[in-house]
Amino acid sequence: MNRMRRHHLAAAVIAAAVLFAAGNALAATPGVGECMDCHGDKTIEKSLPDGKTLSLYVDLQEYRQSVHGGTSCVTCHADAKAPHDKLGKVSCSKCHGDAEKSYAGSAHGKKLRTKEASGVPGCDGCHGRHDIRKVKDPASRVFRLNIVATCLACHKDRALEARYHHLPDQKLIAAYEQSVHGLASKKAGLTGSAVCSDCHGNHGILPADEPKSATHRQNIPTMCGKCHAGILEQYEKSVHGKGMRGGIADSPVCTDCHGEHTIVRASDPSSPVNLRNIPRTCSGCHEKEGITSRYALPKKRFSSYMDTFHGIAVEYGMTKAANCASCHGVHDILPSSDPASSVNRANLQKTCGKCHPNASPNFAKGVVHVEVSPKKAMGVFAVRLFYTIFISALVILFVLHVGLELYGRWTRRRAGAQSGKEGKP
Amino acid sequence: MSRADLASGQVIRMSLLFRVQHLVLTVLLLVLAVTGFSLMYHDNALAQAIIRLEGGVHNRGIVHRIAAVLLMANVAHHLFYMLLSREGKREFQDLIIGRRDIDDFLQSLRYNIGAAAEYPLFGKYGYKEKFQYWGASVGTVLISITGFMLWAEEFSMRLFPKFVLDLALVVHGYQGLLAFVILFFWHLYNVHLHPSVFPMNPSWITGKVSAEWLRREHPLEYEKLKEEGLL
Repeated sequence: MNRMRRHHLAAAVIAAAVLFAAGNALAATPGVGECMDCHGDKTIEKSLPDGKTLSLYVDLQEYRQSVHGGTSCVTCHADAKAPHDKLGKVSCSKCHGDAEKSYAGSAHGKKLRTKEASGVPGCDGCHGRHDIRKVKDPASRVFRLNIVATCLACHKDRALEARYHHLPDQKLIAAYEQSVHGLASKKAGLTGSAVCSDCHGNHGILPADEPKSATHRQNIPTMCGKCHAGILEQYEKSVHGKGMRGGIADSPVCTDCHGEHTIVRASDPSSPVNLRNIPRTCSGCHEKEGITSRYALPKKRFSSYMDTFHGIAVEYGMTKAANCASCHGVHDILPSSDPASSVNRANLQKTCGKCHPNASPNFAKGVVHVEVSPKKAMGVFAVRLFYTIFISALVILFVLHVGLELYGRWTRRRAGAQSGKEGKP
Repeated sequence: MSRADLASGQVIRMSLLFRVQHLVLTVLLLVLAVTGFSLMYHDNALAQAIIRLEGGVHNRGIVHRIAAVLLMANVAHHLFYMLLSREGKREFQDLIIGRRDIDDFLQSLRYNIGAAAEYPLFGKYGYKEKFQYWGASVGTVLISITGFMLWAEEFSMRLFPKFVLDLALVVHGYQGLLAFVILFFWHLYNVHLHPSVFPMNPSWITGKVSAEWLRREHPLEYEKLKEEGLL
């Protein structure tokens, strides 16, 4: 018992000492308690020059639960005294130097430093103020499942879009919510699905037209490959991947076929890589005069495909029929000259055999969906030409024959009328 | 030929069997043309509407093949009838093309420009009918063979390389177009718009033509029937 009492006494002494020390410090820098004397009042507010009011209330509980809850107000508001006038700007860089540095170089950071900046997010724009939580805390604004809402709070805002003309279309950005990534995180609650920051980065976010941007064309495959590593491996070996890495800017990257914010499952009819839409997606480049000439690609691959039974069938929704990818592959497309290509002549029988189980070697003897020209398809060209001339000539002869017959009747009737006799038929 | 026909000055030109064959042919060719050309010209909006009407390309193909099989059956029946039956053999004789038909054709041209005094005298079938008949026959054979090749493409490619099938496809389509052109510009003119029959030669329905028409258009046949005592 005695021992216990002694302990209580010691504790009381220590507490008194601590309180005294705190009281001394208060004179120069106020503690949380002192700050809350005023800022704990829900009605405390300040009038702004534009007539609006700004609440100066701080929710203590929120603050205590925040990642900074263990620090004190003056850690951030270093110039705060009790009472005080307008305080200086809070800078996070004292502790978060790296983040501040990369933010300063970002699109947001650069914009924030300009004069006309308004509505540009600083640290607090995404992380909050007194209620900042750890990134991994599900209640954090930048928690994986919340980050989309945080970004969209601004990027869905039409007023902002109107103010900053270079901002991407808010509809386009908002389309993410319906994308396969958006639904996976929002509906299915999967934390593994890509959210804004996975592709765009966070503090150092840059517009896609800057080469350093994570979403610049040349960085897209690597960026998508962070999650889709197996696909990236295939893509790197493909003609498109090699072209892209070789600095050919026209060579397609992931987003050229799949879309960006609008990416949906391939089974979705609106997906550009849906079985029905693949021909149109590929032809976006392969039917383009500029691209086919620049890279000496075979011409009219799309229109000639659309004239085949496969093309017509796919066009009318028979997705069982072969589309581009059925024969050429998907991420692993190789030029037909490559012996490993599925459309290399040596492999054609096997490739056709995927759908035509009885495919004979004869499947490979001939050309497939080429431009009908003497060089590429002499036989078809010649037969077509023959029929075209033959049918045209026939039509002309028919018309001439009919004309001649009517002309003969007309002249005979006139002659008959003049001679007063009935003309011959 | 009955007395009533003679009394009204009518002559049988198409027997019931030929009329049925002709009608079946007409209907099937129309079906084949609609289903075939809608595929051949699948870029065209009307063609696309027709394909949708037919229930997509798959159903279109089924309709096309059913009509094709029926047409081939019709043609096969016609072939056997022409080669084996008494009536068929006689018709066949009348349809054989000879040197005379070329002369007739040239004479008709000369006659119409005023360089010949007389129009050629035709038998039951003149050069117009013969051209029509043989054109359609050759076309049907070609289009049937290529059609079968395309239908059983895996089988065909066990026998032929792919480029033969590419040609078969072109031949099939253009042969159809050719048949359509002949029917449209040649046959329809000859049996509907020609001044001697306008608005229509009724024989494809009634089987009969007037004896007077026969005398003017096919005088040799008229004479022959008269000799045989049928007129």
